[in-house]
Amino acid sequence: MKMKAHRRLLAAFAVLALLAGACGSDDAASTDATTDTSVAAEDSSGESVDETAEESGAEPADDAGNAGGDTSIRLGIMGECEGPFGGFHEDTVAGTTLALINGAGATSTSATTALDGFSGANVAGVDIELVGIGCGDDTADRAIQEIRTLVEQQNANVVIGPLSGDEGIAIANYALDHPEVTFINGIAGAQDATLHVQAPNFFRFNGDGAQWNAGVGDVAFREGGWRTAAVIADDYGFGWTSSAGFVADFCAAGGDVVSYVYPPLGTTDYSSFVQQLPDPDEVDGYFWVVGGTGTNAALEAFVNAKGDLDGSQHAGNLFFNPGIAAALGNDIAGAYVGGFASLPGDIVTPEISAYLDSADAAWESLGGGLSGGEADSPSVALGFGFAYGYYVGTLALVEALDAVGGDLSDNHSALRAELSSMTVEAPYGSVSLDANRQGIVDTFVAQLVLDEASGEIVQQTVAIVPQVDQTFGGTYSADTAPPERDNTDCAERSLPWHGNTIPVVDGVPQR
Amino acid sequence: MRAREGAVLLVGLFLVALPLFGTDFFVGSIMTRVLMLGLVASSLVFLSSQGGMVSLANWLVFGVAGFAVGNMVATSGRGLKLGWAPWPSMVVALVICTALAWVIGSLSAKTTEIYFLMLTLTFAVIGFFFFGQVTTFSGFGGMTGIDPPAFFDDHPIRLYYGALACSALAYLSFRAIERSPFGLALQGVRDEPIRMASLGFDVPRLRTFAFTFAGFFAGLAGVLNIWWNGQIDPTSIGIGPTLDLLIIAVIGGIMHLEGAWLGAFIFVGANVYLREIPGLGSIGGFVQERVLAQERFNTVIGLLLLLIMVASPDGASGVLARIHSAIRPNASAKRRAITIDPTGGYK
Repeated sequence: MKMKAHRRLLAAFAVLALLAGACGSDDAASTDATTDTSVAAEDSSGESVDETAEESGAEPADDAGNAGGDTSIRLGIMGECEGPFGGFHEDTVAGTTLALINGAGATSTSATTALDGFSGANVAGVDIELVGIGCGDDTADRAIQEIRTLVEQQNANVVIGPLSGDEGIAIANYALDHPEVTFINGIAGAQDATLHVQAPNFFRFNGDGAQWNAGVGDVAFREGGWRTAAVIADDYGFGWTSSAGFVADFCAAGGDVVSYVYPPLGTTDYSSFVQQLPDPDEVDGYFWVVGGTGTNAALEAFVNAKGDLDGSQHAGNLFFNPGIAAALGNDIAGAYVGGFASLPGDIVTPEISAYLDSADAAWESLGGGLSGGEADSPSVALGFGFAYGYYVGTLALVEALDAVGGDLSDNHSALRAELSSMTVEAPYGSVSLDANRQGIVDTFVAQLVLDEASGEIVQQTVAIVPQVDQTFGGTYSADTAPPERDNTDCAERSLPWHGNTIPVVDGVPQR
Repeated sequence: MRAREGAVLLVGLFLVALPLFGTDFFVGSIMTRVLMLGLVASSLVFLSSQGGMVSLANWLVFGVAGFAVGNMVATSGRGLKLGWAPWPSMVVALVICTALAWVIGSLSAKTTEIYFLMLTLTFAVIGFFFFGQVTTFSGFGGMTGIDPPAFFDDHPIRLYYGALACSALAYLSFRAIERSPFGLALQGVRDEPIRMASLGFDVPRLRTFAFTFAGFFAGLAGVLNIWWNGQIDPTSIGIGPTLDLLIIAVIGGIMHLEGAWLGAFIFVGANVYLREIPGLGSIGGFVQERVLAQERFNTVIGLLLLLIMVASPDGASGVLARIHSAIRPNASAKRRAITIDPTGGYK
């Protein structure tokens, strides 16, 4: 008797829960993203997103599918609130928001965080409403779950994001199945997302991991006198892509890569991997792509196994930053560092100043990733690549929308044509897209130097590498395999930027 | 018809009718995922409830099916890129993961309790690093752009019904086994393995068969998952997702087969909807701004799961039983009289 009643109760509960979910998902879409976001939506358009959906009288997911009749932009931001880059969640939303503040008249809801959304964004008569902020964790699975929620439940018709490489590939593939939605990459840098997937509605206004390292190999060869190099990189897509950029660049200049070592992501004891590297007297230099907490751990293992660091023998990608000197001392001075979206703080132009000033005017403070989540000047977050990537993507959206007079008809066809052909005059350099809708970008090579005044290691720009394209001067194409551990051909060749890099002296590009 | 069957039939009919009134997102995303996760969780619940084996390798088998399909179907990107048709790939993938389950089962069958748990965890970790480091089959970048058969491509409702049919097949199969001689012997192994061995039963073989059988359904869920998800990478079968499966089984009620799908529904529902409760972020205003806001919704989910497990060691179905006991104290008293033995030990 008891068991029967129990089972009936179980069944009734299950059915009621399913009913609530099935019928309530519209309501869930209405409350959407953050609570503050719905306020933003109401502020900007006079009616909430859900009201719009309800008035249409059909299922929201279907509405999103019929984006040909879009009259407003329902913006979704695909960020990353967990995982190794979870600390940069604020940065990504701030980058998007600042572009809308500067270009679309938006106002941030809060003076101390971007995560509370914005209101009042309008371009060419088209309202831009924030319907949700996706919360990725650096995995493709989670990215797909989040993008499904943004697009299919919260009805986003334009998505800015994601942040990280494998997420970008997953979302580019998702874009293929959702031609009604326009996707503009945040700062994800996997090569495949554009070179191989080639979704016609996925646009990327930043470089990929290989592009960002253009010029490092050339500088190491010419200025550092390297003729042979060893590569040690995280054993995953971004590590492979970053090292591939160095290898292509260094070998093109005439160098030879004699050793590849790929520790698994998340390694804590690098001693066995460092032992596999040639000794300092057997190779001219080492290129490091070991991220997160691995950077210092790997270099410490190197010191223990191979002796003290000599900065002139080391180079790395964006993970190789002045912070490593805090643990390992100033011997790292002299090392070269690859680029990452924005430029180091030693370069100041009127455009950069105006951009950073606009960030400081938009918020009192932000708790971005560089400040460890603590309140800091907004320009600290916006000056770094994560926020800047989202800024440039959103800036492109705003400018393209303005150029087409807010025309969103026919699955945003006019908007997409404009995005494909435009040149975005962004603060840290102009960006245009290639045939795969991938950014052709300016990147840079920096050097870790000892600041005599403070006695600390700082990053100093030594060269700007102009207009680096994804094919790397013909090294990569849609027919080449995605970068893996050592599948980039080490061959001497001519690259467009070799001999054309712009030296930077005391923070002033010598154009 | 017994109450249990009636209740399941009622829910089943409801699920069949769901696409008629549910939104595309709820049916095509939420419920399809619930059914797939419930399917793989049911393989764990079966092993646990019938064989006394709490395995952490079921998720590996689930993942291997996905990688197998990916390697066979893909024509570009990473992996073997064999370019096979999806349906034959599915068959081969099921054979591979069933064979894998037999291997894991036979190697683990002589261990019990914590040693069994640790051994299966070891297999799970090996699987993660295998697919991460052996780039012949994947690499950490994983496999993307895997299309389902044309029948399911761009037809999420069909895939939902596919997941529902597979779930029904698994449920009926597991229930049928419970009452079969094999199932009864397995329950004997669960309760008294030494006595069963002394009676002449081959205990390791029974456990291996059970594991293999469960592995087939875990693999089936893995095939559905890659058709639905379109990609798989080593983090998909990492420690986190492996433990998620255990959480699903526990919150649903690891001793009740139906609890697998109930747990999956709670898990997925909480992940999708809990973050959207209006005002949740401001609750944290007492401590720190936005402390419980969207970006920390996993904390909220964790608290919910903790609540369920503390309130009812027997999962959500146990919670319902307690609610019912509170509503009908007479029945509850009768139950206590039956289930508490004179020595004070619970039966």
